[in-house]
Amino acid sequence: MTIDMTNVLCTKSHEYFVKEGDILKIGLTDFAIEQLGDIVFVELPEVDSKFKKGEVFGTIESVKAASEIYLPVSGKIVEINEKIQDEPELVNEDCFGEGWLVKITDFDESEFTKAMKYEIYKGFVENA
Amino acid sequence: MGRKTFLYEEHKRLGAKMFDFAGWEMPLQYTSVKEEHLNVRSNSGIFDVSHMGQVFVSGKDSLAYIQNLVPRDLADLKEGKAVYSTLVNTNGGIIDDLIIYKLPDKYLLIVNASRVENDLNWLLESKNNYDVVIDNQSDNYSMIAVQGPKSSEILDKLGLKKENQLVRFGVAETSLAGIDVILARTGYTGEDGFEILVKNEDASKLWNEFLDKKDFGLKPVGYAARDTLRLEASLLLYGQDMDEKTSPVEASLCWTISKDKKDDYPGKQVILDQIKNKNYKKKLVRFKMLDKSVPRHDYEIYIENQNAGQVTSGGFSPCSSIGIGLGYVDTAKIANTFADGIKIDIMIRGKLHPAQITKKPFYNKNYT
Repeated sequence: MTIDMTNVLCTKSHEYFVKEGDILKIGLTDFAIEQLGDIVFVELPEVDSKFKKGEVFGTIESVKAASEIYLPVSGKIVEINEKIQDEPELVNEDCFGEGWLVKITDFDESEFTKAMKYEIYKGFVENA
Repeated sequence: MGRKTFLYEEHKRLGAKMFDFAGWEMPLQYTSVKEEHLNVRSNSGIFDVSHMGQVFVSGKDSLAYIQNLVPRDLADLKEGKAVYSTLVNTNGGIIDDLIIYKLPDKYLLIVNASRVENDLNWLLESKNNYDVVIDNQSDNYSMIAVQGPKSSEILDKLGLKKENQLVRFGVAETSLAGIDVILARTGYTGEDGFEILVKNEDASKLWNEFLDKKDFGLKPVGYAARDTLRLEASLLLYGQDMDEKTSPVEASLCWTISKDKKDDYPGKQVILDQIKNKNYKKKLVRFKMLDKSVPRHDYEIYIENQNAGQVTSGGFSPCSSIGIGLGYVDTAKIANTFADGIKIDIMIRGKLHPAQITKKPFYNKNYT
């Protein structure tokens, strides 16, 4: 699956989101995944649950450790990526494509303001 | 940051991510934990274990002196052989776990990095009137482990002399690629393999001699994979799976206790009483998860919805692709039966996840 990276917005805590119509697709950035290493299990929330921006909505387990994942924008979960339940390695292989985590609705674009375009985010992690 | 081993520059050059381990700056990983782990199982891996401590014991009372320190009977330990054992205190608590190697004129004790000082204090306190010399050589030796099914072939390539080819738990003073070493066929991965003591000044040379033998797929392995490897093989980690408040019986190390040993040793009565009367409060069990979750250190163990203990080591098994762990279970809660297949639960982020006690190690290889 190809994705237009110019539409991807990233946070300082290494989540990304892409607007696809009324839906926001959310995942972890390539930098975050590289830091985590081999992903072995992803615990995702129930569909219809609601989270505020910055709240923990799931956990990602790598061989090394468990890490909490934060929702970058407030909203309601409409879909979780079932495929990564059986193939968690998709998160390593294609985090912006098949390795996405959840999709949300009921979000407010005013919460996008602090997020960075992918190109700028890349500079941010390189200088961090 | 911590102390650096004599292989530190090699790790940097190989692009390792470094971290602090027992006060030492050690490689966490070079590439991917899973890849490094699986390469040890299918080919071979090389590890820097220079942080570990080496103490030599020599003198005419060596045997009697060491016999009086450990629950394992060493009377039959032949020259050129080694055994795994524990140092125990007067309450039967484990001061350290170690391998005791018998060399022609002395014993070598290889101990945990975090315990070198405690062990030495204990060894010196226990010296009494024994005619022994206790020589801590930890700062003068580096140590390299080569582990995996191809290890033996690789050592042949480095010119290991035929007469020094070792059986499992064998040890010999020999040379590899022209470098003097103490070579032992021991390890911490559940694979066939070797642990090699080398003088600090030769450590880099020997390390690179190994890495040059690329045709066997030998790759460097970091501590993250070392931990998943030892967990799959159900090998305990001192300070995490056992400590001074835990006896070898509780730690499920009964196989390292010689029940008929005549010599006295600290905690002997406590230990024998625990074996005979089963009067201990906790016991180490192995378990595997029955769902996709991963147990971690400090998670709680539940039996029939009651808190019944704690996970001491947990993680994901790259070989069987499930969560596995070691933990202590309250013996009262499990009625002293630790039968295979008993269902337990692990509390993970507020939810109980099903697991099952397993008698066999998660990974058990029959090697010669």
